[in-house]
Order: sequence, then C-alpha cells, then structure tokens
Amino acid sequence: MSPVPEVALREVSRSFFVGRPEEVRALRGVSLRLPPGDIVSVEGPSGCGKTTLLNLLGLLDVPTQGEVLWDDRSVAARSERERARLRLTGVGFIFQRFYLLPTMTARENVELPMRALGRPAAERRARADHLLDEVGLSHRRDAFPHELSGGEEQRVAVARALANAPGLLLADEPTGELDRANTDQILDLLLRVRAESGATLLLVTHNPRVAARASRHLTMEDGRIVGDGPGA
Amino acid sequence: MSPSRWTLRHHRLQAILAVASIGTAVALPVVLLSVGGGVSQHELSQLESSGYQLSVSAAGVHGISGAHALVSQIESLPNVAAASPVLSVPVDVFLPTGAVTPALAEGVIPGAFLATQGPTTAGLFPHPLPLGDPSDLAHFANGTYAGPAALDVLVASPFALDFGLGVGSTLMLGATTNRSAATPFTLTGEFGVPASTLGPAAVFAIVLPLSDLQQMTGFARAGGADGTLLDQADTVEVALVGPAATDVAAITAVQGEVQRLAPFYGVSALTDQANELRASIGVLNGFYLALSSVSLTIGLLFLGLVLVRRVEADRRTIGIRRALGLPAAQIALGLARDGLVLAAAGGVAGVAGGIAVVVGLARLGSGTAATAAGLAIFDPVTLGLLYAGVLFLSLGASAVAARAALRLSIPEALR
Ligand SMILES: Nc1ncnc2c1ncn2[C@@H]1O[C@H](COP(=O)(O)OP(=O)(O)OP(=O)(O)O)[C@@H](O)[C@H]1O
Ligand SMILES: [Mg+2]
Repeated sequence: MSPVPEVALREVSRSFFVGRPEEVRALRGVSLRLPPGDIVSVEGPSGCGKTTLLNLLGLLDVPTQGEVLWDDRSVAARSERERARLRLTGVGFIFQRFYLLPTMTARENVELPMRALGRPAAERRARADHLLDEVGLSHRRDAFPHELSGGEEQRVAVARALANAPGLLLADEPTGELDRANTDQILDLLLRVRAESGATLLLVTHNPRVAARASRHLTMEDGRIVGDGPGA
Repeated sequence: MSPSRWTLRHHRLQAILAVASIGTAVALPVVLLSVGGGVSQHELSQLESSGYQLSVSAAGVHGISGAHALVSQIESLPNVAAASPVLSVPVDVFLPTGAVTPALAEGVIPGAFLATQGPTTAGLFPHPLPLGDPSDLAHFANGTYAGPAALDVLVASPFALDFGLGVGSTLMLGATTNRSAATPFTLTGEFGVPASTLGPAAVFAIVLPLSDLQQMTGFARAGGADGTLLDQADTVEVALVGPAATDVAAITAVQGEVQRLAPFYGVSALTDQANELRASIGVLNGFYLALSSVSLTIGLLFLGLVLVRRVEADRRTIGIRRALGLPAAQIALGLARDGLVLAAAGGVAGVAGGIAVVVGLARLGSGTAATAAGLAIFDPVTLGLLYAGVLFLSLGASAVAARAALRLSIPEALR
C-alpha cells in the first residue's frame, strides 16, 4: 500500500494552444487542497475542465501557470521519470474513456502496472484475478477489450486502477457506463478500498447517487471551482 | 500480448516497406562484396598457382633483346628450373579457304614454355609441344636464323573449329596483309582456352616457335651486320625448382641474380604482385563498403521514418502506457525491439536477395557479368559483420523513434 499524499493545487491555470486564436483556457486559477483520505465528488457541465483537473492532480499534465503540490513539494521540481514513478505507484486513474490496451486481455491489462513494478508473475496474477472477481468479471478475464461491453471495459479499468494499491484514486465518471446494480457494486468497491487503505478518492460524476456517497462536493464551471462544500 | 507482435501485424504495409528498403540496402553490399571478393580472389589464386615466380620485362615499347642468350644465362643460375621467353605479335592468318583473319601469335621456346605455366594452363596444351626443336636453337643458329625452321603452329581450338582446321592443315602467316609475303606453317596441334573473368580472351591465339615468329615479324637478330641486337621477346618468365618456388628468400635471391644479368629490365616477383593485389583487394572492399553505406543510410533513414510513423499511429497506446507510469525504458525497448525485428528481417531478405541475384546472374546471365558472378564468394564472416552492423545501426533508428514517443505530451496523446 503506497503512502497517501496530500495533494494541492495553488492558483493553477491550464491553457491549450497558448498564444493562438483558438486558445482554450481549460482551468483558470484553481486552488484546492485534498487532505489524505478525503472522498470528493466533482460536478460541472461538459467542457468545464474536470478531466483537465484530474490530469493535473494525477501528474499526467503540467500547469501553464501555478503549482501542483504533492506533500507540499512542487511537482514541477520533479523529473518526468520521478513523476512516472509516482503515477505508477501512487495514482490509480480510472479514465473517462477507459484506455485499456487493445492488445491485452482483461487480466493482462490489470497485471500491467504490477508487471512494471516487477511483481512476481504468480503474485500479480492472483491479485489481478482477485480484482477482476471484485468487479464481477472473473468469467471475462481472458477477453480482449474489443470483446467487452462498455460497462465491462469500465470495470476492467477500475480493477487496473486498484492494482498497485494507490494512495490517490482519480475516477473520471467511473460509473458512466454502468447500470444501477453495477454502479452500486463499483461504488461499494471503491469505498471499501478507500476505507481499508485510507486513500484519497476523487470522483467526477453527473450521477447524484454517486455524489451522495462523497463527503465533499466540488462544483466547476468554465475552468473554475465555483462550489466546495460538505456532503448533502 | 506483446505490443511488437500487434504492431507488426497491424502495420503490415509499413513493415513490408521497411523490410524491403533495408533488404535492398543490404543486397547491394552483398553483391559488391561477394562478386568483387570472388574476382579478386580468383586473380590471386591464379597468380599463386601460376607456374613461374619471376618475370622479366622491358619498360616502355622496347622489348627484351638477346632473348635466347638471356634465357640460357638465366637457366644456368642455381635453383632455376626453366626460363621461357614470350613474344606476342598480332599477325594475319591466310586460311586454306582464301579468307584472311588477324590472330595473336605467341612465340615461345617449346621446351621451356610449359615448364613456366601453371597446372591449369599447362593442361590445355599437348605435351610436349609439337613445335619441332624443343630448344629452338637449331633454327636460331646463334642468331643467324640459318638453320631449318620448324614452321609448325598450334591454334586455339575455337579458332580451329571456326575455320574448319585440323592437324595437318596449312596456314599462311604474315606480318602484313600481303599474301605473297606470307610463310606457310603446318598445324600440328590445338590448345584449349581457359575460362577467364573477361571472357575467353585467347580465342584467336596461335602459338609457334619463337625464332619462327621473330623472323616472320622482323624481330629477329639482324645477322649482326648493322649491329642491332633484336632477338626479341616481350617477357621472360622464370620458374624455380620445386622447394625454392615457394621460398620467398630463395625467390628474392634468384630475383637479384636475374636482375644482375639483365640490369636494364624490370624483374618482378609474383609474390610482390600478389601482395599488391591483396592490398588493392583491401582498398576495393573499403570502397564497396563506402558505396554501400549510402544505400544503408537510406535504408535506415526509411526504417527511422517507419518507426516514427508507427509512434504517430500508436500514440494512444503509448500515451496510455506513459499515463500508467510505465518506465520510459520499457517504451524505448519496445520500439528498439520493433526496429530490430524489421532490421533483422530486412537483413535476411537483403542477404538472401543479394545471393539470389549473384547466383541468378551466374546461372542465367551471359558474358563478363555472368563469369564474374560465377566467381563470387559468400564469406560468412563478411556477411555476418554486415548483418550485425545493420542490426546495430537499426538501434539508432529506434532511438529516434523512442525520442519522439517520449516527447509526446500525455494529454495530447490520449485525446
Ligand atoms: N489536449 C487538449 N487540447 C486542446 N484542448 C483541450 C485539451 N484537453 C482539453 N481541452 C479543452 O479544455 C476544455 C476542458 O476540457 P476537459 O476535458 O477538462 O472537460 P471536462 O469537464 O472533462 O468535460 P466532459 O464532461 O465532457 O468530459 C474543453 O474545452 C476542451 O476542449
Ligand atoms: Mg472529462
């Protein structure tokens, strides 16, 4: 289990196509602090910058302005190599578009982050099977992504995000493709993992049933955080 | 599960193009090195298996004069087995049919000639040479040419075949196209024509006694009256006795003595020529490699482009791997493996293709190219080094692609 970081954004802006007429300001001066163990939901209209926010928190991207801090240390001060290591060991990303590797089976996708850490084959296989079982996919573990339904792919993505027991779980609409029963199952799983590990959990969602399980709610609009409050 | 397998399967056209370009690039040096090496090696082995070890020749247009005297002096040196003067002059042959054709006449001392030829050439001639007096001294008669001439001639078998000649035919030979000034010779035998890299060169050759040719062509000694000392030959080839023939020190010693006998002529040892040839083989191989490096560079540039193009096509997958935090080295290794697989396949295709071209040319081609191809040597060490070089250089192409892959911004790659 990796240590749970305290992650913070300080006056962070992220623009695309800087200096060109089509410049997009996806985030505009966002400040935010995520104490370890927080369960946070993020809501906001399409294009308001939710995914961009997650990319910055998860060290996939660097801000155009401002600072991303992990345990009060600026991420910009770390090399790309160090950031990659932190992503591998410390961050579990459930991508909005799943991003499974198309040439690998469900089990191989889940094993991939463990393989990169050099975990023994038997150990990572056992853990992959256990995680796939947790998301209700033990019968589909040898299927390739193109053989899976959208909801099944999403559940493989959840299992993969949990593989290295990360301290920071970033879930971009983790239940967007799921029915009510599966939504509850995945939410239960994420919350149980969080309870066991003390990880910080950030959930982007449009689903009030999901938002209801968070203890803190962020509302975004047009690249800004316009609402930040405790659970309903 | 290996990304390599997947990408190779899904970018088949690019893979084929990369393999083809590297294959073409590798085939060129394979052809150049194997054919060039084969031809040089053939010349070298001819030099090394030749029947003589020293050759005396005159610089410039002048021949060697006093050939008969020089030969007997050389032959009385220790360790010398035979000395054979050769005079080469183009003559006209008036055939029994009335036709006239030019031929290259070689005047030799019959008893010495075969002793200075290598086994291959000697095997093409009848033994002993049926050209009358083996010493050629009866007719020469101390430079008077007063003795009886042999008037025998040997012709190359293609020549005999072409003109329907056989043993016993009479040929008129002359130094000019004037038939009435020609001398009648009797055909006493034929000789075969060796395969040579430049095609059968001796097709229109004839061989006759030295003194007969000298007298017919005006290279005889002019009776001493006006003091000229013709008795001319172009070269004198010297064969050493058995053990001395392969002993460099003995060869050098005899070379010095012959040089003392003939201070105005050049005396060269075949070992020197062989060494020069060896040196020039090295230079040629370097030249072939330099030439090939151009095609190899183009092939590897193409491989680099294909790999960079593949990075573009796989940006999503590469983005995912990087987003998950997989080490950059793993991504670079994947590309290096792709590059190696393509280069290995291209190298195999190139070596096989080059060999196929050379073998095909040798079998189906004609003329000089086919002969040269027939001599090609496929040296496993050279080909192996070439192959290893291509694999090694492919890592450079992969490095370029890996750089491109690791420079992608992850959010861009994931879009
Ligand atoms: N790599 C990029 N290049 C250019 N523009 C980008 C890029 N990533 C995001 N954007 C733009 O930034 C803005 C915010 O995008 P983002 O993906 O963060 O929105 P979102 O809130 O996640 O939307 P959705 O709910 O539809 O997923 C959008 O206008 C988007 O077009
Ligand atoms: Mg989004």
